[in-house]
Amino acid sequence: MKMNRLFSLLASVSLGLAGCGGSSGDTPPPPPPPPPPPVTKIEAVQLLQQASFGFEAGDISAVIAQRQEGWIDSQIALPPSLHLPFVQAVPPPQFQFQLQADRADIWFRHALNADDQLRQRVAFALSEILVTSQLGALNNAPFALADYYDILVRNAFGNYRDLLEEVTLSPAMGVYLSMLGNRKPEPTLNIRPDENYARELMQLFSIGLVELNIDGSEVLENGQPVPTYDQAIIEGFAHVFTGWTWAGSPSFEQARATQQNQVVPMELYEAFHDTGAKLLLNGTTLPPGQGGMQDLDAALDNIFEHPNVGPFISIRLIQRLVTSNPSPGYVQRVAQSFNDNGSGVRGDLAAVIKAILLDDEAHPDMPMEIDGKLKEPLLRVTQVWKAYNATSESGRFPLSFAYILYGQGPLQSASVFNFFSPFYAPPGEIRDASLVSPELQIATEYQNTLFTNLMFYQVFGQNHLSENLQPDDIYIDFSEEMLIADDIDALIDMVAEKLLAGEISDMLRAEITGMLTLIPETDTAVRAAETIYFIATSPEYAYQR
Amino acid sequence: MKALNRRDFLRTSGAAALFAATPGLAYSQVVGGGGAFTDYRALVCIFLFGGNDSFNMLVPASGPEYDAYALSRQNLAIPQGDLLPLATQGQGSFGVHPSMSGIQSLFDSGDAAFVANTGPLIQTTSKDDFNNGSVALPPQLFSHNDQQDQWTSLKGNTVSNTGWAGRMADLIRTGVTEQQMATNASLFGANTFQSADETVAYVMGAGGPLQFEGFSMDPDDILFQQRETFRRIVEAEYGTVYERGFADVQQRAIAAADTVTAAIDSAPPLNTTFPASQLGTQLQTVARLIAVRDQLQMKRQIFFVATGGFDSHDDQNQNQPGLLGGISDAISAFQTAIGPGAGGLDVADSVTTFTQSDFGRTLTSNGDGTDHAWGGNQLVVGGAVAGQQIYGNYPLLEIGGPEDVTGGRMIPSTSADQYAATLAKWFGIPDVDLDVVAPNLANFAQRDLGFMIP
Repeated sequence: MKMNRLFSLLASVSLGLAGCGGSSGDTPPPPPPPPPPPVTKIEAVQLLQQASFGFEAGDISAVIAQRQEGWIDSQIALPPSLHLPFVQAVPPPQFQFQLQADRADIWFRHALNADDQLRQRVAFALSEILVTSQLGALNNAPFALADYYDILVRNAFGNYRDLLEEVTLSPAMGVYLSMLGNRKPEPTLNIRPDENYARELMQLFSIGLVELNIDGSEVLENGQPVPTYDQAIIEGFAHVFTGWTWAGSPSFEQARATQQNQVVPMELYEAFHDTGAKLLLNGTTLPPGQGGMQDLDAALDNIFEHPNVGPFISIRLIQRLVTSNPSPGYVQRVAQSFNDNGSGVRGDLAAVIKAILLDDEAHPDMPMEIDGKLKEPLLRVTQVWKAYNATSESGRFPLSFAYILYGQGPLQSASVFNFFSPFYAPPGEIRDASLVSPELQIATEYQNTLFTNLMFYQVFGQNHLSENLQPDDIYIDFSEEMLIADDIDALIDMVAEKLLAGEISDMLRAEITGMLTLIPETDTAVRAAETIYFIATSPEYAYQR
Repeated sequence: MKALNRRDFLRTSGAAALFAATPGLAYSQVVGGGGAFTDYRALVCIFLFGGNDSFNMLVPASGPEYDAYALSRQNLAIPQGDLLPLATQGQGSFGVHPSMSGIQSLFDSGDAAFVANTGPLIQTTSKDDFNNGSVALPPQLFSHNDQQDQWTSLKGNTVSNTGWAGRMADLIRTGVTEQQMATNASLFGANTFQSADETVAYVMGAGGPLQFEGFSMDPDDILFQQRETFRRIVEAEYGTVYERGFADVQQRAIAAADTVTAAIDSAPPLNTTFPASQLGTQLQTVARLIAVRDQLQMKRQIFFVATGGFDSHDDQNQNQPGLLGGISDAISAFQTAIGPGAGGLDVADSVTTFTQSDFGRTLTSNGDGTDHAWGGNQLVVGGAVAGQQIYGNYPLLEIGGPEDVTGGRMIPSTSADQYAATLAKWFGIPDVDLDVVAPNLANFAQRDLGFMIP
């Protein structure tokens, strides 16, 4: 019988009963002024979904105890958990590219275990805006990529101008968008500066293609959007970004990567920097004869001061953390905090993140059907793994091929345009209503089926009872569920609590109940696995409130 | 990850029956009054992501034309003696990149053609027009995603969310009501090209569709309840647009997976060996799907396959042989697999493969690579192609010449709309509807570039 083959995957374990925790005692009301209403569990989980890689009971109580703003402040104050030192500490493998697995390993370990969850989550969001990737030439530069990720981690609550400069001078970005090795023109050979970084820096990392109002809407003239730049301005910036290559090289033309120069900024070779005048944004022209660093500083200032940066970055961060379709008012409030953090500072990302997460629209009293977003596949995975204490015998999560399994992985995008577009609108009601759902671009029939199957393998084939696991096989632990699996209601309650904060629909509960009644109550592992499978693959789990 | 053995799970023979018995599923297309297609035709779009440097793919091979090319391209020029000559029918001396011997053979045997200097245009555009701003231009020229959008949507300066393959599928939907799979199938993810108002493209993997693990079609098996439980969950009502969007995908996935995989599994293996590349794998899957067209009652299909790495800002001379050779080798294998030779599917006259790419690249160099430009050369392959010819006007590759807007960015002389319309007409779109497929077509004198045999 086929069912036997499924069920024989699991050791049959005797059932037991576990009591659920009781409620804590009442505290006397404090004296006036009256306190704000306590943070509810739902509100706490809502923040944790937006600001971390998953949640456990302790995380929820921390948010409730500290309230949202206090929790965010304490998160911002935590020291950064870095990625490069881990990769540098690995015994050197035969080939450098093999360290991409270790880079992924530390990414998952931090996502699951690091205390500075908010910082790691914001860094991940930034890695989907300021994109570099192991897919391509950087496969052989894992140190450069790990260092690049740490730039995002360290600057997650810093200033966007500083971040732009560190990103611009990072060898990872230098390789990825070919500013590394970019040189002044040689007209006799029809050689002119490389335009790659100049273009994508403006289009994707800072201002976008068209002029924006502070609420993110497009400026229209005669009904048409207004381009932010033209080819002449791209060429101006392309000339700015000349003269940089691997640090410590014998010469500009003999530059090559080493383990050391992958993790320090690119170095300027003035002889290869163009010294002509350069056209920038807003009618600014850099005078001729400036040095490469002076040009670069002025050019990044020119971009950073463009009024588009606030709304442009705000929309993208809101989309990564909170909702696909923020209202113009929400964008404007966040963009204003980008433009001025309250102390006259422009570009303070800590202020931006707080404005995003503390806005009423991040936790609406009466949610609308366009509030929230779809969870990215990596976040769907980390949430299950966090809830079920995922680990491997080796302790490693060496998923350098996460992008194949999940359609995305840390610094594993197929191009600088990220795994999905911020403008993606699937056919049907979303597009008809002029809405977007970026994450749906990689929720294809193929990827969704694969994700569903991976959950199936996870719950049945890679759990705490599984035998013959390989050292790097990641397994989950649902022993707690098995103890109560004779009681279908209690079992569903427990899984729904861990994965949905208890907010399970009556429909899903009824469907799972129907399935579990077909499984003997002594098959506690099968019951537990089935419950996790059906919740973790459900549309309501895929949705972030 | 450690996988359960798929063979432990269902292998159904009743998938098609179940599919037919569930009319609510998304793949039952709207039935209308149009006549049904009786023959089979397929289009295979190969999208070259990043912007193919196609002036090194198809190169003038001699005379002042080669000299102009060499002078413009300098260190990126292919040495004259390395070009593989093409036996053109009186259109001058041309060669292909030395890595493309497969394409050379297909061209010389009449099964391949090029369309020269093609790109998005709203209307015919001269250099003066461009400099004076006297004609409408596609917005955001030279930007990757915008020009990918232009090629695949042909939207010009209008707002549109559909692609020209999507519009074709909508137009013919009443003629293909028996099809058990969507007209549009992608092997490279969701895309604008196949996006439509009425029909939905089916997205599979490079190796084909996946089945859901642990689902059975045998009503006596508990795994049938597993499937039914899953199906009811994804068919339930949801309160947000995101859950509904996600559930819609899952509904389509569950409906198509069994039908299509059962059909593929029923077919004998292909005899042709394909390159183990991304493109080779996808084209192999396309050939396998074409092999089971009758089981799936397919009459019209549009496949989207793609490969990347063409954004050659760096190291172009090192990377171009692999990129262009990869196209050539994969297409050669595909033509063999669908061709009339021993073990072939003998359907080559009904299948037309064509390229699209973000844009052509600058004739000038940035030292070791090229930057984003505009017009480029496209490749069309198939038994119905009027081959051994170069269509359109191949420009003189001269910096500062009449087609160069700066830096060797060539203004297209043939529009992507004309290219699309020519393919659409062969596919069976009536002339009156070609303007729906290619909205700017009316702005150009020639509605049919002539590279397809009717």
